[in-house]
Amino acid sequence: MFGLIQPFTDVNHSFFGFLNQGPLTLTIFLHTVIVLPMIWIYFSEKKKLKK
Amino acid sequence: MANENENLSVWTSISFWRRSAAWVTGFAVILLIWLTFDTMGQISMGTDADLQKAVAEGKEINRVPAPTVINYHIDYKMSKTRGHEVPVIGAKEPFFGKEWSPKEAAALLHLGKLTVQAKNCMNCHTLLGNGAYYAPDLTKAWLDPAWQKGGPMQAMTNTGTTEEAMAKFLQNPSQYPTHARMMPNLGITAQEAKGVVAFLKHMSSIDTNGFPRNFSKTVEQFKTGGTNAH
Amino acid sequence: MLTSIKTNEFAGSESKKLAMMYFRVAIILFGAQLLMGLIAAIQFLAPNFLFEVFDFNVARMVHINALVVWMLYAMIGSVYYLLPDETGVETVGIGLGKLAFWVLTAAVTVVVLVFIFIQVGPGKESTIWLINEGREYIEAPRWADIGIVVVVLIFYWNVFATFMKGRKTGILTVLVADLLALAGLYLAGMFFTDNISMDQYWWWWVIHLWVEATWEVFVGALAAYGLVKIINAKREIVEMWLWIEVLMLFGSGILGLGHHYFWIGTPEYWWEIGALFSALEPVPLVAMFVHVLYDWGKEQGMAKAEGKPGNVVKNGPAMAWIVTNAFGNFLGAGIWGFFHTLPQVNIYTHGTQFTAAHGHLAFFGAYATILVGMMYLGVQGAYGVERMKSTFKSKMAIVLITFGVVGMTIALTIAGYEQVLVERAELGAGWDAFFVAQNLPWYVQAQIWRTIMGVITFIGFVYLVWDLLTIGKEAKAAQAA
Repeated sequence: MFGLIQPFTDVNHSFFGFLNQGPLTLTIFLHTVIVLPMIWIYFSEKKKLKK
Repeated sequence: MANENENLSVWTSISFWRRSAAWVTGFAVILLIWLTFDTMGQISMGTDADLQKAVAEGKEINRVPAPTVINYHIDYKMSKTRGHEVPVIGAKEPFFGKEWSPKEAAALLHLGKLTVQAKNCMNCHTLLGNGAYYAPDLTKAWLDPAWQKGGPMQAMTNTGTTEEAMAKFLQNPSQYPTHARMMPNLGITAQEAKGVVAFLKHMSSIDTNGFPRNFSKTVEQFKTGGTNAH
Repeated sequence: MLTSIKTNEFAGSESKKLAMMYFRVAIILFGAQLLMGLIAAIQFLAPNFLFEVFDFNVARMVHINALVVWMLYAMIGSVYYLLPDETGVETVGIGLGKLAFWVLTAAVTVVVLVFIFIQVGPGKESTIWLINEGREYIEAPRWADIGIVVVVLIFYWNVFATFMKGRKTGILTVLVADLLALAGLYLAGMFFTDNISMDQYWWWWVIHLWVEATWEVFVGALAAYGLVKIINAKREIVEMWLWIEVLMLFGSGILGLGHHYFWIGTPEYWWEIGALFSALEPVPLVAMFVHVLYDWGKEQGMAKAEGKPGNVVKNGPAMAWIVTNAFGNFLGAGIWGFFHTLPQVNIYTHGTQFTAAHGHLAFFGAYATILVGMMYLGVQGAYGVERMKSTFKSKMAIVLITFGVVGMTIALTIAGYEQVLVERAELGAGWDAFFVAQNLPWYVQAQIWRTIMGVITFIGFVYLVWDLLTIGKEAKAAQAA
């Protein structure tokens, strides 16, 4: 589709290489797993503050 | 977002930011360590057997090949699938007039790398693009047309091969000036010079994801006033 | 600053005296850095200057090593200075700390003398151990590496033990954790390998994770301390900002390391990781800038509302340098770094004068500025003056140095553009291509401007030293009057 999803072409296969097959897929994935748990931290803090 | 009651806003709570900072830092470190293990596996030097297999099958196996790569012809060509230039290891060719066994090649590369550090090359040149910017980048220096047959350096040093031209130059660089800015004499011995050339040849075989781009394709065109924009 | 050796204003705080010892060596090394930079700049224009006597590689090696070492000295000094204030107790193990200072200073002297007089060695392990490790920024030979580790362990122990004994503020919590990482990372640069890709991989762990992660957090902590000390900023606010900064600096900086792994033999997936994480690195720098100016304005406004006359700033020159830090960090590290952090750009700019332009403004803006600010705080403390106003010399120093460094950066950026377009894009980075670009008239012109701006920086440095030596005495006399 628009040449965005590309076949794997790097020398060696690896987990990170597998994720790195489209536009920013790998880096967006990593950013998401880093940022998402902060939502949980936010609500747990909110609960603490309400007490 | 902030709650009307100031004490209830998470956004101004030190403990929220502290916990978030601890989580983000800790997890980024874990990811980096994981990535490092993955990369270590990919940039470890290959073996001579890997190299022979890669040449036989005509495909790349190691990003950093075995030291015995100095026994082969190396090229740097556009890869359609990768979208940039990649090193291409070709047929065997003698290096300083002989074929080097895995043990000999490793010893020579070791001497070369030691010399490169001992002579502080990196504070004028760049290696893989890192270093100082006073002298040319050495990443693909082995493949530079200036040093190939027909290039000025073999004629100037009165030698017949790239390796001999480089070795002779390295031992007495200020005797073979190419520009007002010269390389100083660093007391490099004949053996050390061979090692450095082996190091350079090996470095040119490393897969650098296409850096530098369009390596030395158009010097002649530029000099004759030519252009790539046809 | 010099007379403060004899001053007894620090009676009761040996830690602060030790801090001043570190500051003094730092400023001397700062001078050495500038002199070496001038030699190297002249060699770009007149390559015969000191050829085969004191070559570019030597001048450049001492230039960047003096830089790293003076900053580490000023950083250690800053920690010893703020430790008693933050913990409320005197620093533990100060005798050992002083011994470590003299050992480190002796070692640095020997290393520099060997760099200057022996320069390079034969291609043997002994050279790596005794003369020069030949790895940019961490050239110090292995024996000195081990010495540095021992000294840093002593320093860290002092900090940690004092922290455990005294008040545990947020600023100190960040510092103690950050210093552990900073010290530990040095170990990643202490081995030899024949594999240049492996070599560069770990080399960047030291260089990047220092200057784009742990040093930046260190600066955040110093700025927090400085704001509390200079303008009485509210600690809760300052510390909340500090945690936000830690979150964003480490969040972007640790994996931002990937932007050094585009072209050194490492897999292609680093393109994405390096690009986006490092592109976010300027965000915390904006936050720091906003935070410093906001706090300043707020404290001044509150003082006015309460009817207190005059300026809330208790140390004029220190505040000026901290504000310059906030701006310079964002501009030098943030903007100039972002210029060439994406792989699509970096494939052409990697290893050109572009990098040199970024390096000059980033090291100055992010680190030199705030460390000079800490030196001014030290002088104020050494003379025990309530208020220290900027003098004519303080103003000349900050204006000339900042103007000089920004000028060098602009000149190098222009040189970088020339080099990128002609050597890299048009001619393809070969031996001839390099020299064609180096001889372009506009490139040469830029190098001339760089040298002129370097001289201006040096004149500013002379004013700085002069001011540091005299401002305390003058302020004290003014206070007495």
